[in-house]
Amino acid sequence: MKTSHLALAAALSLAAGPALAQGECAFTTDMEIKHLSAAFPAWVAVTDAMKECAPNLVVELDQEFRQKQPTAFAAEPSLYHIGGVANGTLTPLLNDGTIRPLDAYVEQYGQDLSPNQLIRIDGRIMAIAMMVNTQHLMYRTDIFEELGLEVPTTYAEVLEAAEAIRAAGVVEYPIGATMASGWDLAQDFVNMYAGFGGEFFDESGMTLIDSEAGVKALETMKALTEYMDPEFLVSNSTYVQQQFQQGKIAMANLWATRASAMDDAAESQVVGKVGMAPAPLAEAGARPATTIWWDGIVIAANVPDEEAEAAFRLAMEGLSPRTVAEHNDDAVWLVPGYEPGPMATGAIETAMMGPVAYPSSVEMGLLHTAIGNNIADFLTGQESAEQSLADAKDAYTAAAREAGVLQ
Amino acid sequence: MMSAKTVQPSAPLRWTIGLFLATWCLIAAFPLFWIAVMSFKLPVDAFSANPLTVIFGPQTRAAGQGLSLLDLALGLATLAALYVVAAKKLGGWVERVAGETWLPLGWVVGGLLYGAVAAGVLVVLLPAVAGGLEAVVRPIPLVGLLAEPAIGLTLEHYANIWFEQEFYRNFINSLVVTAGVVTISLTVGTLAGYALARTRSSLAFWLLISALIFRALPHSVLVSGYLPPFINSAEILEPFLGDAAPTLYGQPWAVILVLVAINQPFTIWMLRSFFANIPAELDEAARVDGCTHFGAFRRVIMPVMWPGVITTGLFSFLLAYNDFLVTSLLLDAQNQTMVPAIASFFNRETTTTDQVRAVAAAVSITAPLFLLVIVFQRQIVSGLTAGAVKG
Amino acid sequence: MRPRTFFAFVGPSLVLMILFIAIPLVSVFLQSFWQTQTVFERVEIENCTPGFPAPNCTTQTVTRPLLDESGRTVTETIYVGLDAYRAVVQPEAVAAAFAAGEDFWSRLSNIDFWKALRFTLTFTLITLPLVVGLGLAIALAVNAALRSLRGPIIFVSLLPFIVTPVIGALSIRWLFIGDGILTNALEAMTGTQIFMFAQGWTIEILMLTYRVWHVAPFAFVVFYAGLQTVNQDTLESAVIDGASRFERLRYVVIPHLMPLIVFVSLIHLMDAYRVFEEVIGFSSQAHRISLQFLTYDFLMPDDSGNRSISRASASSMLTMIGIVILLVPLLMRTWRDYKPRG
Repeated sequence: MKTSHLALAAALSLAAGPALAQGECAFTTDMEIKHLSAAFPAWVAVTDAMKECAPNLVVELDQEFRQKQPTAFAAEPSLYHIGGVANGTLTPLLNDGTIRPLDAYVEQYGQDLSPNQLIRIDGRIMAIAMMVNTQHLMYRTDIFEELGLEVPTTYAEVLEAAEAIRAAGVVEYPIGATMASGWDLAQDFVNMYAGFGGEFFDESGMTLIDSEAGVKALETMKALTEYMDPEFLVSNSTYVQQQFQQGKIAMANLWATRASAMDDAAESQVVGKVGMAPAPLAEAGARPATTIWWDGIVIAANVPDEEAEAAFRLAMEGLSPRTVAEHNDDAVWLVPGYEPGPMATGAIETAMMGPVAYPSSVEMGLLHTAIGNNIADFLTGQESAEQSLADAKDAYTAAAREAGVLQ
Repeated sequence: MMSAKTVQPSAPLRWTIGLFLATWCLIAAFPLFWIAVMSFKLPVDAFSANPLTVIFGPQTRAAGQGLSLLDLALGLATLAALYVVAAKKLGGWVERVAGETWLPLGWVVGGLLYGAVAAGVLVVLLPAVAGGLEAVVRPIPLVGLLAEPAIGLTLEHYANIWFEQEFYRNFINSLVVTAGVVTISLTVGTLAGYALARTRSSLAFWLLISALIFRALPHSVLVSGYLPPFINSAEILEPFLGDAAPTLYGQPWAVILVLVAINQPFTIWMLRSFFANIPAELDEAARVDGCTHFGAFRRVIMPVMWPGVITTGLFSFLLAYNDFLVTSLLLDAQNQTMVPAIASFFNRETTTTDQVRAVAAAVSITAPLFLLVIVFQRQIVSGLTAGAVKG
Repeated sequence: MRPRTFFAFVGPSLVLMILFIAIPLVSVFLQSFWQTQTVFERVEIENCTPGFPAPNCTTQTVTRPLLDESGRTVTETIYVGLDAYRAVVQPEAVAAAFAAGEDFWSRLSNIDFWKALRFTLTFTLITLPLVVGLGLAIALAVNAALRSLRGPIIFVSLLPFIVTPVIGALSIRWLFIGDGILTNALEAMTGTQIFMFAQGWTIEILMLTYRVWHVAPFAFVVFYAGLQTVNQDTLESAVIDGASRFERLRYVVIPHLMPLIVFVSLIHLMDAYRVFEEVIGFSSQAHRISLQFLTYDFLMPDDSGNRSISRASASSMLTMIGIVILLVPLLMRTWRDYKPRG
């Protein structure tokens, strides 16, 4: 009797499932709407929620989306209605004028949005942010407690703690870092350089990284590498995360989106032993050595107005408090209703300390590439810090001239 | 017989040769064997630094999923039997059923059928039989130990990839693209290769040389040039085709054409040398009998060209099946083939579990390649013998 | 064959090659001499981004493209002659390195193009004899092995060749990265700490090894096919004449295989010169880059969507010139083989 009740209940819930899901949607549409973005878990959550409200939604999640996004949005009509962007990847769409201002839509349908989500460029709302991401300190609470170490707040303290951990012989490599040559390495430098208060460009668009702050940033990075696995130039975020999970490192300045993996029992051997702290300051009294990133959506300009409107309303369904309630720990959400879990504290405290937002611009894209291709020579000991910064500057100048940014 | 005996190597030389071959086979197979082992373990085991942990998978076994020695023995025997049948018997069956004219089609159907049967045997029949045997053996003392799990093994990554992540869609897309590329590439290439083998003009020579240079081009240069015209093709082609102008981006057939083009230089060179080895007197005789060039080609050449065409076809197959640059750039998610799909498993913000799943996907896509080589290895050798040998 | 018939047969193939190879090639050639730039303006605007607790609004001067009335970016195309080539090859820096004398090589290898050329050339020239040699050795060994074992050995030998390159490279990378099991085994054997990915030369060895592992099977199967057609009568008379095993190899087998060795070398030169997968698969860009990787790096858009099209075109034209130079001896041979029959 009891089993049949259960079976009945199961059958009922199955039958009611889709209808219920549709019922939760404040807006549904049968139009064919297309979406292109990166593929990390927060996007999966958002697009899944959108799919419930639009059976004909076509979702393309591609980690290399930036290769095709600008061209695809420039087509007549645009190949996608909704685009997922970050502060970096917003720039090309903005520059080509292929995304539309969202002020009218926000006024009409954006009751649930918090002011923090509205990305305003030149006074107009061009994107809706859904989450922030930043690199901050993660550390092994058990090791720090056992050795009686304080959680470091500056990089000088990070080095001291690393020395103590190495001396005690707890782990072979006290520090991990996302220093894979290319984008990751450049991002690490950008964090450190911003922390030392460095300015990236002068009035004319020429770069200023070959400065005292630049040398200091590089030297701090080099000092840290002494405590790292010597293969740091191939270690990307996933690799550092695995080093953490396998108990090989004791601390790292790692992306907030990676925090929840530390407590995943299926793959981590250090469950409950990883603490979250704000990003260390570059030096006492300076800024935290990190940058703030956001991810969010844009709507294409080259699509019919009614489709664009439907796409926006659909995106609002994706970014609803309901999605956040179901996927609370997938990201540091900006959407109202988000309850920061213990793993999010590091990111939020970092953000409260006011680090710079990643300064996205045409020049910054070029500079990021130039840095990533040139500073490895200093870290491997082939060049002086000044020389590798000069190389990066030359590479930037050549690229900026070719692009027409510099005259 | 005497010749075989006189060139028979001496004993020390035989040992050296044996040792050398054994070492080579180990080097050739080990990396692939290793990722196959990883794909069957839980992430903690798969990425362990201790090789024994990776092989025996204590965590995986502790999670209640394992293989007994009995399973292992049965599994190895089944694999060996499948190999022998594919390598020795399948060819004969296909030739008997399909006959001369339908041979290529016979191979395709035969290969697919065999793949399906092999998968069925491995996934359904084998576990059932092994489970039954274990149940029988377990109560017997000592012998019962054979039925206890010895090696951790889990199929959950495969189940996740193929069903939850819908990898079978990518598989179907790969089949479509590969079949398209092989068919078109061979049709177009055979005609061109034949003509080039029967012409002695310097035009033909320069064509071959430019094909050679085309083949040497770095692909990333060509490929990145395709993206803007592919995305804007509807706009570009509108003056010619009107409203019917298609957007090429994301279309499998457009990608098929690109891959065929990229593959043409190699194909026409290979096929030219095959046709050069078929005596020209054959088709000249047919032409005297009143056939056109095309008629002669169809009546006289087609029946004897299959060894060369099959070998060339295998190279086209490999190119299409393994391609990453073209397919990842020009296909959208709905039409994505397997290789870019796997690369995106690796590239996305991954967890260790995702990585093991990606490894499982990587192993799955190698399986059809295995089958291909087992079935066709004799054809590869005989095809090459018939063609390239004389340059 | 009459030209019309010839074109009827060759036509479809020719059309495809022109459409998808020749036309892109011409456009690459043109783009290396002309530069298309976006016209930028500098404006002061206010931007707001998420901040805690309130949004973070700043006023900054940014560079942004000029848009025309229809909302498209304004671009201008100018003829720059050899500027893009100069930007890639950097002749002044090379001259300066020359003048500096002593550390000529280290200065030269600080310039991406020369660094890439150095690696590409060594990679090509070192793997070539290894691939041909290993392929030949396996072919001879398999040919001398028991007939019943040949099938399985050929099967296993072909595996590295057929496996998807991205996956083959990854599988080897896992064996060596960090505490990979082969690195561990090497450490146990030598008793020292080994970090395969920490310095350039070890990565270079891995890349060479991977390529030989991947391509030797192709050489093997071609040579093995060739061995099946060695004239048995010639071999037998050589035996009767008392030729040793090595002499038979040297004077009968190798000459017979010569066209095949040329064929394999040709294919390998072309493929090795555009080495690319290894750089990605082993993330070697901090230490070693190849010419095709250089082009790829210029072409990949950064976060802001910038690409260096002109320099990419110039560098790919230079790559092509390099490959043609490498192929000249082999092309001459093809020409000689072709002409007498013509």
